[in-house]
Parts: sequence; C-alpha cells; structure tokens
Amino acid sequence: MLRFALKNMAIKFVQNILIALSIVISAGIAVLAYNVANQVNDGITKNAGYYSVIVGPSGSKTQLAMNSMYFTEEPLGTIPYSVVIDLMKDGTKVNSVIPFAMADNYNGYGVVGTTTAFLNGKTVDKGALFDDSTTMQAVVGYNIAKYNHLNVGDVIRTGHSVNSSELHAQGITVVGILEESHSAYDNIVFTQLRTLWEMHEHGGQHEEEHVGEEEHEHMQGTVCAVLINAKNPVYAMQLVSEYDGKIVTTEDGDSYTLQAIEPMEIVRDVLDEADDTKYIVFVLCGVIMLMNIMIISIITLLNTYHSAKEISLMRLIGISMKKINLLYIIQNGIIGFVSTGFAFALSKVCLLLMNDYVASMGVVLNIAAVYPLEIVILLGVFLLSVIPTFIWTFCMSKKDGIGE
Amino acid sequence: MIEIKNIMKQFQNETAIEYKDMTFETGKSYMLLGASGCGKSTLLNMIAGILTPTKGSIVIDGVETSKQSQRERDKFRIQNIGYIFQDFKLLNDMTVMDNINILRLENVDTSNAVQLLKNLGIEEKKNSKIKHLSGGQKQRVAIVRALVKKPDIILADEPTGNLNFAIGEQVIKELVEISQGKTLIAVTHDERLAKYFDEVIDMNEMTDGRRDLYGEEVK
Repeated sequence: MLRFALKNMAIKFVQNILIALSIVISAGIAVLAYNVANQVNDGITKNAGYYSVIVGPSGSKTQLAMNSMYFTEEPLGTIPYSVVIDLMKDGTKVNSVIPFAMADNYNGYGVVGTTTAFLNGKTVDKGALFDDSTTMQAVVGYNIAKYNHLNVGDVIRTGHSVNSSELHAQGITVVGILEESHSAYDNIVFTQLRTLWEMHEHGGQHEEEHVGEEEHEHMQGTVCAVLINAKNPVYAMQLVSEYDGKIVTTEDGDSYTLQAIEPMEIVRDVLDEADDTKYIVFVLCGVIMLMNIMIISIITLLNTYHSAKEISLMRLIGISMKKINLLYIIQNGIIGFVSTGFAFALSKVCLLLMNDYVASMGVVLNIAAVYPLEIVILLGVFLLSVIPTFIWTFCMSKKDGIGE
Repeated sequence: MIEIKNIMKQFQNETAIEYKDMTFETGKSYMLLGASGCGKSTLLNMIAGILTPTKGSIVIDGVETSKQSQRERDKFRIQNIGYIFQDFKLLNDMTVMDNINILRLENVDTSNAVQLLKNLGIEEKKNSKIKHLSGGQKQRVAIVRALVKKPDIILADEPTGNLNFAIGEQVIKELVEISQGKTLIAVTHDERLAKYFDEVIDMNEMTDGRRDLYGEEVK
C-alpha cells in the first residue's frame, strides 16, 4: 500500500510539491509569527524585570528605560553622581545601585561607563572583567572584538561623543571579551565609569589624587542613569515617589531635575502600545493562514477530484473503497506530515536569521523554544491536508454503485 | 455456471433493457454479438457486479450475486472475475507491472504476471509506462491483469474494439487459448472472430433492445 502510494505521489510530483510548498509557507509563517511575538514579549519583560527602579534625568520615560537597559536611544542627559552616593547610603532599601553612563564611541559602537555589577550574569570569553578600582580598562562585546580583530591587551581609542570621529588622546586597554549573547551587549564597549570621566575631565577630582580613600566619597562626576535593584516592590515604589521630580543642586550650583521609573511598568506600557501592532500582525497572519487553509483544502480536494478517474478505474477492477480511501489518506498524510515538518524547520531557520535583528532589543531568541499553540497550529495544518480527502472518499464509499 | 434469470436493467435516463434467460456453462467460451445499444456491455457489467439488475437474478456457481451488496460484489469480482475493458482501464502514467500489481492492494497474488506477459510476448515492456505502449500492447496488459489472479470467469468487453483486425484477431486467439478451462464471455461486433469461440450468442435476439418508458426502441 505504502509503495503504491509513493509511486502514485511520484507521478504527480509537481502537483504534490506545490501542495507541500503551500503548506510549508502558510504553517511556517504562522508558527514563526506566534513564536517570535511570544519570545520578544517574554524577553523584553524578563530584561526589564532585572532592575526595579531607574533614576535619571527628567524627560521621556521610555527613552530612559530603553537607553539604560537596551542601549538603543541616546541618553536623556546627565545627573550628578551624588544621587548614586545617596542611594548607596540607603542600604535598607536597595540590594544594588549601578551607575550607568553612555558616552563616546568606538568605531560607531557605544561606550558604556559602569561597574562590573552591570555585567553580572554575562560570561567573559577571553580575559577578565575590568577592575572597578582602576581606570582605562575595557571589556568589549563579542561583535566588536570579532569585526575589529581585537584581542585582550589591545589598546582602543574612542571618539569624543556618541557620534564623533574625533578621538581621545588616551587609549583604553581591552582586558576582556564577552561571550556572544546575541544581544545588544555584543555591540557595546564597557569600561569603568571613572574612565569616561577622566577622558572628559568630568568631576573635579581624579583617582590618582585620592588613592586609599573611599571611592563613593570622591567621585563628583555625572551619570546618565542609576539602575537600582530594590529589596522589595514596596521599597521600589517608595524610591520612585522619593526621586521622581526631585531637584538636586550640586556644589557648583547646577540644578538637575530627576525622574524615577519602574522599568517593568514602562516596558509593559510600550508592549501595550505595541499590542495594537501585534494584533494587526496576528490578524494579518490569521488572514494568511485562513487563505492558506482554503488553498490547502481546495488543492487537496482538487487533487482528489483529479484522481476521480483513477479511483473509478480502481473500483472497476475490484479495489474496495476502503483500500482506495486508505491509499489517498496515506498519500495526503505523507504530504501533510512532511510539509508540517518542513514548516517547523523553516520557522526555526527564520528564527535563527532574525536573532541578530531582535538582539538589538536585548532579546535573545531561543531556537529550541516551542509553544503549545505552535504544535496545535502544525497539527491543524496536518489534519487539514487529510480531512478533505477523508470526507470526500468517505462520501464516495457510501455510494453503493460504481457505474450506475 | 452463470445463470441469467428474467433480468431487466433500468437506467437513470429511464431507458430499460429486458433480457431473456441465458446460461453460460463453465469451461466454455462465448461470443456475444449484436448491434450497439442492444445491451451486451450492460450484461457483462451486471455479471461482473459493476451494475445491479433492476429486477431478476444473476446466479454464479450457486451464488446470487445480484442480491449482494456492492462490497460483496467487489470482493466476488476481485476473487473470481477477470474483466478486460474495451478502453483497457489502465493507469497511463504507471508502468505495466504497476498496473498489474495494483491488485495487490486487495491481496491478489500477482507472482505469475511476468510469465503471462512472456506468454503474450510483451515481457520486455514490463517496466514501460502504459502511455508508451501501442494499442495491441495495452490490450495484452489488460488481459494479463484480468488473468493474473487466475479467475474462473473472464469477461471481455470489445477486446478488439481499439485494434485493427489483424492485431484484434491475434489478441482473440491468444485470449481464447489462455482462457482454456475457464468461462470466457467476450463481447464483439465483429462476426469474423466467431470461429474462435465455442458458442456465439446473438444479443439482438436475447434482448428487446434499449427501450424508453413507452416501450419505444431507443436508437
């Protein structure tokens, strides 16, 4: 039976390939859209959940969140480092306080000044993390090292601002290269915050003048944001209400208006706004899917109708309708099974190709991630390829006569 | 033995044919001769179980097949009847062997197919696609497919209809020879082939022809 079914399929090779392609494309797109939408959603929310509060200059909340977590937008501005010191003093409410400054560029790649705590959870592929107690050291992202042929020990020279090509006189020594993470971290140079200050001569006092003193007591520069991991959600809310709108005045008399955000809320808002777009994409996918359901059903049914001559021939020579039914179910089942398999593989290949693009949002797509609804979609497509044939041949088998 | 008793076949277009009683004895070859529309092919199809008589009965070796369900008649046909169709009824895109081995779907033993092809002189064509064969070769393939299951009854509907006389005569000679000991009923309109059969039945005399609801003959 299987041998005959395969021979019969080989005869209608082009027709069967077209049916299979239709199934592969429709099911592949549907599964891919669903998988990516879910992974991006989950990934962004997960990233945002790592920090409970971000304090930065007043302005766009979204820009502050996106810049400090995903390095996408330009910084809103700066706030005095004294804010970091104040927050660090409040040890009862916070687990960690991480300063974040984004300035300069290396061949177009952003340079972030921070502490090693910012790279918690990241793996160093070569070398080690920079030393927080010194300056002029850098850990570079995987892509930067790869495309600029950098190795540990190399000295890099950065540009004066995020976009400038005018280089600083001082060089920074690469002490480590991060493992590839398919995230925005692959495209960033990380260095000590004080390195950026020294380069820009920010802050009135330099490390070498203050050896042996407590670090936080002597840094009077600025940062773009402060990332805070609060001890509990209540403390996070308290910090937000305390720092949001607060005006800080430095010894020089400069005033800074702060804003404090809960990044999870911001990301949820962004995702909610993006939801309309997401629903449009889902509706479009649904329409594509619906059209393909119709195409698959019609092609499969036409395939069976075109086979009416050979079915009647088989009936005339005495082959029972039960066997004919089984024969066509096997044929369409093979096409359906192979096609859904290829559709699944196609979605994974596309996922792999999309990874670099989605990485710019700080989300790493997991190729192995499979959602239950994907299985349901694929199963549905498989059944669609078999059911029309089954119904049609079943109806034919109910007719008793052959040549009446 | 095949007994035809008082059968009538009414068609969907409301024409009908009535048959006189007939008996076909086992081991003999019969030629059904008659004008187009007199009911020769209809009779073969009713014997084969492809058509059901509207009334009357067909009894084959004691089994009243006309009372059986379609499934039972299909089973009876695949086991006992070899049917050679006028237009061959072969799958054109498949090979000779595929067209014969299709019977394996119903667990028919086709192991003697190559020998039969050899007997009919087309063994070398066994892997050729049907569409690449001549009319005579197709007819021989149809004969092999009908005989490969070693049926007791062989029905042939205009087996020479698509062939010129010389090839048609050769096919009939081979068919009669290969059907020795079996019941062979062949429909043909060519009287010149009558000499190869044990009996010739003039179907013009055995039916009232195809008639409409008012009893008028339908041409």
